[in-house]
Amino acid sequence: MPQVPIIMPQLGESIAEAAIINYLVKPGDTIEAGQDLIEVETNKATMTVTAPCTGRVTNFSAQLNESYIVGAVLGQIEATAEEAARLGFDEAPPVKPVDPDQDPDHLPEIISGSRVEPTVRGLPVPANAVGASYISPRLKARMHELGLSAADLAGIAGSGAAGRVTVQDFEKFMVHLEHQKTSQASSMRVAVADAMRRSWTRPLATVGLPVTLDPLLTHRKTRDPKPGPALYALRALALALSENSAPAGRLVGSKIVLPSSIDVGFAVEAEDGVLVPVLRGADKKPLAELVVRYNELVELARQRKLPGDATGGSVATVTNFGTFGLVWATPIPLPEQTIVLGMGAGRRMPHWDEAKGQFVPVMEAYLTLSFDHRVLDGGAAGRLLQRIAALMQKPEAL
Amino acid sequence: MSITYLEAIREAQARALKDDPRVFIYGQDVGAFGGAFKATKNLAKEFPGRVLDSPISEDAMMGLAVGAAIEGLRPIIEMQFADFSTVGFNQIVNQAATLFWRTNVPCPVTVRLPCGGTSGSGPFHSQMMEAIYAHYPGLIVLTPATVEDAYSMLLEAVAIDDPVIFCEHKFLYYHLKADKLPDTALPVGKARIAREGRDLTIVTYSAMVHECVAAANELASEGWQIEVVDLRSVKPLDTDTVIASVARTGRLLCVGEAWPWGGVTAEVIARVASEGYELLDAPPQRLNARNTPVPYHPNLWTAHRPTARAVVSAARKLLRT
Amino acid sequence: MLETVPGLPAGDATALGREKAVLAYGFMLRARLLDDKFATLYRAGKIHGGVFLGRGQEALSAAIGVSLRDSDVFAPLIRDAAGRLAFGEPIVDAVRNYLGSALGPMRGRDGNVHRGYPREGLLPMISHLGAMISVVNGVLFARRLKGQTGMVGVATLGEGGTSTGAFHEALNQASIEKLPLVMVVANNQFAYSTPNSRQFACDNLADRALGYGMGAHNVDGTSLPDCLATIGQAVETARNGGGPQLVVASLLRLCGHGEHDDAGYIDPKLKASPLGRDCLKLAEEYLLSQKLADAAQLAVWRSQVVGEIEEAVNQVQREPTPDPFTEKWTALSSPHLNEMHDEI
Repeated sequence: MPQVPIIMPQLGESIAEAAIINYLVKPGDTIEAGQDLIEVETNKATMTVTAPCTGRVTNFSAQLNESYIVGAVLGQIEATAEEAARLGFDEAPPVKPVDPDQDPDHLPEIISGSRVEPTVRGLPVPANAVGASYISPRLKARMHELGLSAADLAGIAGSGAAGRVTVQDFEKFMVHLEHQKTSQASSMRVAVADAMRRSWTRPLATVGLPVTLDPLLTHRKTRDPKPGPALYALRALALALSENSAPAGRLVGSKIVLPSSIDVGFAVEAEDGVLVPVLRGADKKPLAELVVRYNELVELARQRKLPGDATGGSVATVTNFGTFGLVWATPIPLPEQTIVLGMGAGRRMPHWDEAKGQFVPVMEAYLTLSFDHRVLDGGAAGRLLQRIAALMQKPEAL
Repeated sequence: MSITYLEAIREAQARALKDDPRVFIYGQDVGAFGGAFKATKNLAKEFPGRVLDSPISEDAMMGLAVGAAIEGLRPIIEMQFADFSTVGFNQIVNQAATLFWRTNVPCPVTVRLPCGGTSGSGPFHSQMMEAIYAHYPGLIVLTPATVEDAYSMLLEAVAIDDPVIFCEHKFLYYHLKADKLPDTALPVGKARIAREGRDLTIVTYSAMVHECVAAANELASEGWQIEVVDLRSVKPLDTDTVIASVARTGRLLCVGEAWPWGGVTAEVIARVASEGYELLDAPPQRLNARNTPVPYHPNLWTAHRPTARAVVSAARKLLRT
Repeated sequence: MLETVPGLPAGDATALGREKAVLAYGFMLRARLLDDKFATLYRAGKIHGGVFLGRGQEALSAAIGVSLRDSDVFAPLIRDAAGRLAFGEPIVDAVRNYLGSALGPMRGRDGNVHRGYPREGLLPMISHLGAMISVVNGVLFARRLKGQTGMVGVATLGEGGTSTGAFHEALNQASIEKLPLVMVVANNQFAYSTPNSRQFACDNLADRALGYGMGAHNVDGTSLPDCLATIGQAVETARNGGGPQLVVASLLRLCGHGEHDDAGYIDPKLKASPLGRDCLKLAEEYLLSQKLADAAQLAVWRSQVVGEIEEAVNQVQREPTPDPFTEKWTALSSPHLNEMHDEI
């Protein structure tokens, strides 16, 4: 009679192993397909392993209180040939008999089962082919075929060595997706996704600083058209970079590539994505001149009609996440940029007025600077942010 | 009736001598004595003047064979042990292997190398020589693993117009039996699927085929289906069959009894890596003898060469990778 | 196969008696002038690889060639231009192999002295000394197995090659099989730069024949008539079933190992000794003394041979060289067993 293995099943999305805590039947017991056989415990719950087929339990090879990986053989069931064939366990082809006297080498092997070796899971894995981040050539080829990238594997718990995602895991995941509701990502979404993925290959950090908005709010009332607070920040950033452009330099290999012109972009939300129009030579033009172009570009961006010379090639970006009512965020610089300046929502805050001896209301917002830590350190980022804040206190000079 | 691997080699030579008057056998003790392993038993009597003892002169044995091949004969040279062929190495690789290329005159010499380890044979009677000969252009290198192949491939070797290094495994001489000699056979250059599977491909040859099939049977009890490819001839090497198998399984383990450095297992992995990289779901692995001369004592010998047990453990590790 | 030069006798050497000396002299002269031509071409950069001359060994080599029949076997070595020509190699093929003509016997796959026609009994040497002797044994053995009789095989070697295992194995093998092998050793005193004192310690290399069970012969390699007599006798003994014969000829290499070697290591005293006499000059003196030729005749022959060589060189220089794009790049004669993975 053929033997059908009892396999540790997949017990949940991110479960790769489980411990045997109780046997519910004994070797020799007759069992029905689907009957509970073994109680196992994962780090989330206690569950049972059920019989894959009707038959008689031959043996349990797994040991109590030991952990076994998903797919490990826990024991054997003696089943009818039809049952075995139905499960794909045909009888093994006949073995050429080997005379044990002639061949000292064919000693009976003690089958160690698939007991988890503690060194494999849960401990640091050297960065070689069996590490969790390893993607086999076959899996890579399959993902390429489907247009997927490594980031798309993030949601799959691997069952391979050291938790790596195997082709089988991947195919299961793809089948799983078929049962989910999906929608086609827009080309804008895909482009943003790609830019963010590329940007994220760098070590990024963010620093922040509260800045008083009252001077610029007073100033903007006198202007027509009125510049938005973010444009003051943009102009201040441009002037700060014209004094020292090093913080906007890009690291390529062992070289820092410095900006040749202070062209600064600003984020504009469009449907299903973000566009970044660029103000060229923002350090060379006064605010009054910039505001006209700024308003033009915002309108063009919303209509998705930005001309070619108004996109790309900028050395930094300003993003006003305050328009969403947010006070703090950690924006991600564009992949080709080292810094992104963020501005939060203005809030009226109590400030202690030494002269008056009392708290006075002040309009305040956070400025954030996210940066490629390979190029800048916290100190340099802080100094740039301080300089921008200082420039924003004298809006008439902008 | 049953016939052993060794008897199949004897029968193939008898048939070659009978069918083709150009065939003769030359080697140490092959005449009246019938060879150190009895692979030429009674042939000297049956074919007088065509099965001749040579002096212990492997170089001159091979030189004589090349000269006879130039004259249109088809000599079979028996090296008493594959290990001793190194003494005739110059004639094999510089004379025989280059003759056709230099002169357009074919060199149909078959060199029989009783190769591989048996317990107690030690460093100079146990070597696997296939890799070193396969390295040279102009040579065909055969490594039969079955009684049927020993017979049909030796007959084909004698018929091939190029020098053939026929690696017959001494470990299989007496153990391996078949009911009868084959009527048909795969041609030289075609590998054989010794066992079908879907989870892992083991590529091997010669006596290791049997260790690998035993390992596959053991793993089958755990639910793994292992495919075993018997190369049959290591040169030419049937890359297509190997790649097709890896395409089915995504995993490759190469097993050879020879030493690891630059051998057949390395060649197979190199070809799969360059031609079938995207079929691989795990880094290809190989299992070879240890990198020392072959030891004499059984305790050391069994630990020196790959065994079914070692193949099982290597396969299991690869299956979990 | 013998080539004819007007005025020089041609035909079956054995039937020629006294004229055999004239026939042999013709091949000596051709070899000497051909070697001189190769040396000139080498210095003009027209030859790839080395040039190896037989200067000083022409009498011995020519004597071998004229003692053999078309149906015999000859495995010459590097200083055997005279013997090759006498055995039947066309001058033009010697030139082709040196200049790498695609029409040459080796088609550019091997060069200079590595040439031959195995099926016609002229075996192409490999560089490993002593390795050709057992191949000659194999040819003779096979012919005997096929029922052929009356043939002889000659292998040549310098005294340096006698130190190899292959030499020992092959002579022992030939003796066991009683093959009609004549082993001719040109003891030219130097193996490349190594003098005899560092090569062997016996008094006379021919004494080794006793150890193998071979017939032994010594000869003055500078003397054409002596070489003709001794080689002729050894060849006929072997041909008539007398078993393998070992001939050791004493002479001096009158050039470097190759044209890259100035042979500054050769003691001038040795050059001045009888060993250092030029066998070609001695042969001319012999022809004159025997009235087989006069001075005017010698001059005519020389200019005829020069013309013959010039013609061959001119022809070969117009011939195609091997083409890597049409080259088959396979070492196997069985196309179905080729592995095509090494296609570029």
